[in-house]
Amino acid sequence: MSDQHIISLLEERPFSELSENELSAIRAHVSTCDDCSRQCDAAQISALLLTQRAAATFGPSPFFHTRVMATLRERESASQPWAWTRVWRAAGALASSMVLTVAALGALTFAIPGSAETALVQDIAANSYSAEEVIFNQAEIADEKVSDGQILKSLYGVEEEAGK
Amino acid sequence: MDLELARLARNGDESAFEEILRRYSPRVFHVASRFFRERSQVEEAAQEVFLKAFTELGKFEGRGSMEGWLTRIATNTCLNMLRSSKRRPELTAADLNEEQSDWLESKMAQGALERHQASERSAVAADLAGRVLQTLSPDDQLVLTMIDGEDSPVREVVEATGWSESKVKVTAFRARRRMREAVEKLLRR
Repeated sequence: MSDQHIISLLEERPFSELSENELSAIRAHVSTCDDCSRQCDAAQISALLLTQRAAATFGPSPFFHTRVMATLRERESASQPWAWTRVWRAAGALASSMVLTVAALGALTFAIPGSAETALVQDIAANSYSAEEVIFNQAEIADEKVSDGQILKSLYGVEEEAGK
Repeated sequence: MDLELARLARNGDESAFEEILRRYSPRVFHVASRFFRERSQVEEAAQEVFLKAFTELGKFEGRGSMEGWLTRIATNTCLNMLRSSKRRPELTAADLNEEQSDWLESKMAQGALERHQASERSAVAADLAGRVLQTLSPDDQLVLTMIDGEDSPVREVVEATGWSESKVKVTAFRARRRMREAVEKLLRR
């Protein structure tokens, strides 16, 4: 039996499944081959260790079921829509209303007074008359029906009276 | 009955899920014990398995047994937990404690090819086995523990993992070699 054959026998199946014939062949071989003898020892100890490992199992502790159920309830309640979602929605509404208020105050403070001022200046400019306008655009000044004589009098009347 | 329990639990009946826990937690613990050496780790894994099972109750259609369904969830959950944890470095004889060294020496002193059928229980050996297994990949650990340790048929590993039969056999073949090499290092003094 070759070395390779011994090794493959040890790897093909669990040690406990080797037949008596196979074990006899291995015994015969390892008595003359140190390398295979060492590997055979290691394989046997591996098999024994694995058997011992498989026998060492744990069972559930008395509180295991309670703990799992508690964790489950905790996770379920955390995933309820009324928890975080509702808080998030309320916070969102509050934030939105605050932003709107600030925007409205900003508009009142800066936008409206500015436009009122501009409108006032424009209004004054539109309603002011120069002496020339009063003289030459009388027809356009509809609500002030004054005659040329009255205008001349208002303009030069003081001087004329002074001249007299 | 299992299908009915699953339906009730899915609809919010806590007592139904508690019944599932009561019936199948020993099985889930047994599966988790294949992967972890400490009770706290086994409990943590088992809890994760049941929490996962709860969220996937809708997928249980009752075609197979609930035990088989939970075994598969447990196996995959534990495999993923092991994969995400760091693998232990190589173990040498210098890393063993006195009890473990003594146990190895006593086994080496026994006659060749006679001791593999030893039936005594040894906590030292179980712990040592756990340490050696931790140097292997999670897949290797599972296959070796089930086939070589528990004498489970290949078919059972196929059902627990969802792997093909040939993958299980090839993994077992390679895992035996790696385990043997790891033990051989401990025997070199």
